[in-house]
Amino acid sequence: MTALELITLLSQAIYVVIFLAVGYRYLRARTPAHLDMTVFFGILAFVVVESRIATAAGIVPPEWFTDSVIAAVIALPYILLRLVDDFTVVPRSIKRGAEVLLIAAVAAVYVLQGPTLPPVYVFLIVGYIAGLSFYCGFRFFRSAIRAKGVTRRRMQAISLGTALFALDILAAGIGGQMSDPWKTILAAVGQVLGLAAAISWFLGFAPPPILRRAWQAPELRQFLARAANLPRLPSTRDIVRELERGAAAATGSDARIGVWDEDILKIRFWPPTGEPVDVEPGRYFSGRAFKQQKTLLSAQPMRDDPQGADAYRAAKVGAIIATPITAGEKRLGVLVLYAERPPIFAVSDSELSQLLADQAAVVLESRALIDHAARVRAREEAARLKEDFLSAAAHDLKTPLTTVVAQAQFLERKATRDPSAPSDLAGLQRIVREAQRLSALVTDLLDAARMEQGRLVADREPMDLGTLVSSVATRQRPGAHRVDVDVRGAVVGNYDGRRIEQLLENLIENASKYSPEATPVNVNVWQQDGEARITVQDQGIGIPAADLPRIFERFSRASNVDDRKFHGMGLGLYICRGIVEEHGGRIWAESEIGKGSTFHVALPLGEERRLN
Amino acid sequence: MIEVSEGFGDGGDAPGLRPASSAGKAGERAGTRVLVVDDDPSILDTVTSILTSEGFQVMAASGGKQALSLLHSWHPTLVLLDMRMPIMDGWAVARAMQESGSKVPIIVMTAAESAKRWADEIGAAGHLAKPFALDELLECVEEHSGPRRTN
Repeated sequence: MTALELITLLSQAIYVVIFLAVGYRYLRARTPAHLDMTVFFGILAFVVVESRIATAAGIVPPEWFTDSVIAAVIALPYILLRLVDDFTVVPRSIKRGAEVLLIAAVAAVYVLQGPTLPPVYVFLIVGYIAGLSFYCGFRFFRSAIRAKGVTRRRMQAISLGTALFALDILAAGIGGQMSDPWKTILAAVGQVLGLAAAISWFLGFAPPPILRRAWQAPELRQFLARAANLPRLPSTRDIVRELERGAAAATGSDARIGVWDEDILKIRFWPPTGEPVDVEPGRYFSGRAFKQQKTLLSAQPMRDDPQGADAYRAAKVGAIIATPITAGEKRLGVLVLYAERPPIFAVSDSELSQLLADQAAVVLESRALIDHAARVRAREEAARLKEDFLSAAAHDLKTPLTTVVAQAQFLERKATRDPSAPSDLAGLQRIVREAQRLSALVTDLLDAARMEQGRLVADREPMDLGTLVSSVATRQRPGAHRVDVDVRGAVVGNYDGRRIEQLLENLIENASKYSPEATPVNVNVWQQDGEARITVQDQGIGIPAADLPRIFERFSRASNVDDRKFHGMGLGLYICRGIVEEHGGRIWAESEIGKGSTFHVALPLGEERRLN
Repeated sequence: MIEVSEGFGDGGDAPGLRPASSAGKAGERAGTRVLVVDDDPSILDTVTSILTSEGFQVMAASGGKQALSLLHSWHPTLVLLDMRMPIMDGWAVARAMQESGSKVPIIVMTAAESAKRWADEIGAAGHLAKPFALDELLECVEEHSGPRRTN
């Protein structure tokens, strides 16, 4: 076997291999491009196999058969043109022109009987084949320039293969019309060119997975290297943009990432320009991939999802892979890879897409964690500022009040003791009263503010509620009310003594304030059903039923209270509720107009008590 | 109010500021040396003048440093201590007192919520939450005054 024969054998074998590869691919994904590739290499494979068999068996095929084979070969560049059209757009005029010429050439072959065509026709036909092939090679080259990543490399290989094929046709066509030694030389050159074209096409149209991965590797590595730093970018939008760029480079297609927005329950995409686009789960390929949590691939999105056809047309989506971006159980979004023309994607691209989506998930999840941490920090900071403000306000309000109250009381005391001293006792008493009132209001306001932070109750200690209540109830207080205390047994729990005192003072003060003089206020303490119970009962004016539900709310006062007679901001019972609730207890009231009210408090008992 | 008229009989030629109860109590008060520490001049003046009028011996310190030097030179029997003060705060004063072995009882005066906790923290004898009433001030000082003198 000569070297030339070996080359011929090799290139012919490669055509057959490519035919089998693209044929298999067509069976898996019936796209027009796969069909065109299969037909193209089918013709080449058939021609070589047929000639081998004929030579080996010594058969001379009938003329019509030979003519048909030649016609099929002449049709090859037209199929190439269709392939170009699958990848990018071929102007209609060129397609129509190529079709007319093809018909003319084929007709010439049949009419003028192929093997003995006059040289002028041969040159015309060779020129047609080579010219169209060059045009196709040029177009493939142009799309290679525009493409990215692995697609670019495949396109480059295809364009090179096509150009070599055109040269091969030229060499064979010209050589066939010449005599030795040119005939032999050109035949040899043609064989080498044919082998080179076959290899290039093989790499471009049906790259083995290993080569595909190798071609993807640089962009993928770049993507992964950059991914590590992405979560630190200022906004999720920037991160998405970078991820899209990386995914596009790695796959050679366009890439969009939609991020799941829990507030609006939609997937949000940020197009390079214009407003964000929100997609419902289940709508379009992106929404469906998100909803079904699986990768979806379509080479004909407009046919596979007719409802979204307009959108796909507008965005020039001719082929699409949508992969959910999910971290564990958490659905973060969806990665969409798309291209204007279908054959860009092989089935293996969905694996790549999965890899990219996983990486995007890691990045977005890290970002979410960073965001969450920032939100927590901001919340803590806000709470701290409020707390700072509260203590500053408390300090600055209470300090002058201390002087005013103490000084006024002191003057009052001096004046009472020495009636002969030049002073206005009534005036001093007014100052004292008002200063005390102001002081009580400030304290209430600060307590109410503290209560909103749930920080009313501070240090709790084990104590006997009965003892505490008795000491508060029997305290001297203005007015002619008798406070009767009935404590049944020890009632021990963990309480903030100061706040419980405040609670009782408030309730007893209320009871005295709204009941006629000389009527008693009854305070009971006991334990019942595993709870500490306190009631403060008066025989006062009562609370209208309509007001009962809201007397524990802020700034709420019963409608039968005469504002001119009873001062107050309506914070007392609100603070009472805060004290009780922060202890984990309940407070409520029962009342009958004209007969009196009973305020109930239930507080948790200490652990050991509850076990008994 | 009735006490006052009783006091007139008891107090003889000096009616007025002495509380009615007894001469013995007045003597006790005179033996009580109260150091008032607060960075707020109004409070300092008010408390000082009230306690002075009530028969206690009183000195005022507007800061921690001054308080410590008075503690060593004047030997008070009771300290009314504001906690939040610039430069040297109540905790620092209490710590310095503890380190120097002083056993003078301290009463914490503060506008903060945590008056009682702070008092416990520094081992104070009592606390007065601002704004306090005259009676509270006097009762508290009374309770911790007496012939007991520090070494």
